[in-house]
Amino acid sequence: MAKKTYDLLFKLLLIGDSGVGKTCVLFRFSDDAFNTTFISTIGIDFKIKTVELQGKKIKLQIWDTAGQERFHTITTSYYRGAMGIMLVYDITNAKSFENISKWLRNIDEHANEDVERMLLGNKCDMEDKRVVPKAKGEQIAREHGIRFFETSAKANINIEKAFLTLAEDILRKTPVKEPNSENVDISSGGGVTGWKSKCCS
Amino acid sequence: MELREDASPASAFEKDAFQLTVEDVYDISYVIGRDLLKISSSGEEVSDLQFRIVRVLELFETVVKQYNLSVEELRLERDNLKTELDRILGENCTENVGPDQLVIDLKDPNRPRFTMQELKEVLQERNQLKAQLMVSQEELQMYKSGRLPMEPGMVEIDLESPPATDNGSAAGDDAREEPKDERTAISKL
Repeated sequence: MAKKTYDLLFKLLLIGDSGVGKTCVLFRFSDDAFNTTFISTIGIDFKIKTVELQGKKIKLQIWDTAGQERFHTITTSYYRGAMGIMLVYDITNAKSFENISKWLRNIDEHANEDVERMLLGNKCDMEDKRVVPKAKGEQIAREHGIRFFETSAKANINIEKAFLTLAEDILRKTPVKEPNSENVDISSGGGVTGWKSKCCS
Repeated sequence: MELREDASPASAFEKDAFQLTVEDVYDISYVIGRDLLKISSSGEEVSDLQFRIVRVLELFETVVKQYNLSVEELRLERDNLKTELDRILGENCTENVGPDQLVIDLKDPNRPRFTMQELKEVLQERNQLKAQLMVSQEELQMYKSGRLPMEPGMVEIDLESPPATDNGSAAGDDAREEPKDERTAISKL
C-alpha cells in the first residue's frame, strides 16, 4: 500500500490564555471559516492541513490546546512533540498579554529546546477595543527573538501568513532527506516521533 | 452674694452630668465644704446647701443610671457578636473543608466525576480515532479519484445508498474486505 500523500509532517501547537482565539485562528487556517460562538476547548484537539512549500508537500498537524488552567497538565504533555509553537494573545485583553511570560516559561519547561516559537496578537480587527499597542507585541517578540504577527481570525488577517512562516522556519531547520511517508502520530509527548519514517510495503 | 463672687467653682453645679470633669468634682467639693463651714460658723445658707446636695445627688443618679444602661447595652452587643461569630465559624466548618478544597454536592447531576487521567485517556482516544478517520477519508478519496488502483477482491461500494440495497454477494465481499482496510488504516498510524 505504498502511497505518498505528503513529504514532511510538521507538528505545531497553539497555546495562550482562554478566549484569545486559538481555536478560531486554527479554524480559519484549516477550514477558512469563522464562528462567533465561543466554545471552550476541552483539553486538546487537532486539525490537519497540508500545504506546499518549496515544492514539498508538508502536512501540518496542528494541536489546539485549552487555555484554561484546569487543563494545564493535559496540555503541557503535548509540548514535547511540537516542532513549532504559536503563542496567542488577545490585543483587547491586557491580561492575556501579561501572561505571555508565563506561557514562554511553559515552553521552556515542557517543549523541545529547538522548538520554533511565534507570537500572535489576535483580534486585530477590533481596533476600537485595543488595549495592547502593536509596538508592545513587537517589543516582547524582539526581546525573546521570536516572530510576531497581529492576526484576525474573523477578518482573515495574517492567519495563513503566520502558519506558512512558521512552517517555513521549521522547514529551514529540517535536514534534507529522501521524501518518505511520514506517520500521523497522535501520541502525546512523543518527542521526535513525528520525524520517524516508515517503510511501506 | 458670696456665691456670685465665686462663680467659677460653683458653675460646676450647672453643668451637664456627662460634661463633668474631675476638676468640676473638686470644685463641687470645694463649694460644699465652704458652705458646710458657714453652717458650722453662722448657721446661714442651709437651704442653699440642701439644694446643692440634692443637685449633686441628682447628678450622681443620672451618671449611675447611664452607666448601668451602657453596661447593659455592651452586654447585649457582646452576646450578639458572640452569636454571629459562632454562626460564621459553623459555616466555615461545613462549607470550607480547607483553603484548597472543594465540597461536591452529590445530588448535582453536573458534579465533577472523572479524573484528569481519565479525561486525558478519552481525549487521546478521540484524537486517535480522528486521525484514523482522516487517514481513511484520504485513502477513500484516492480510490475514488482513481489515483490508487483497486486491489483484486475489492468491490466498489456506493456509500451513499443504504446497505439494505446490497445483494448477498456484495455483502460477502464487503465482509472480506473489511479487515484489510482496517489494517491499512492502523498501519498508517
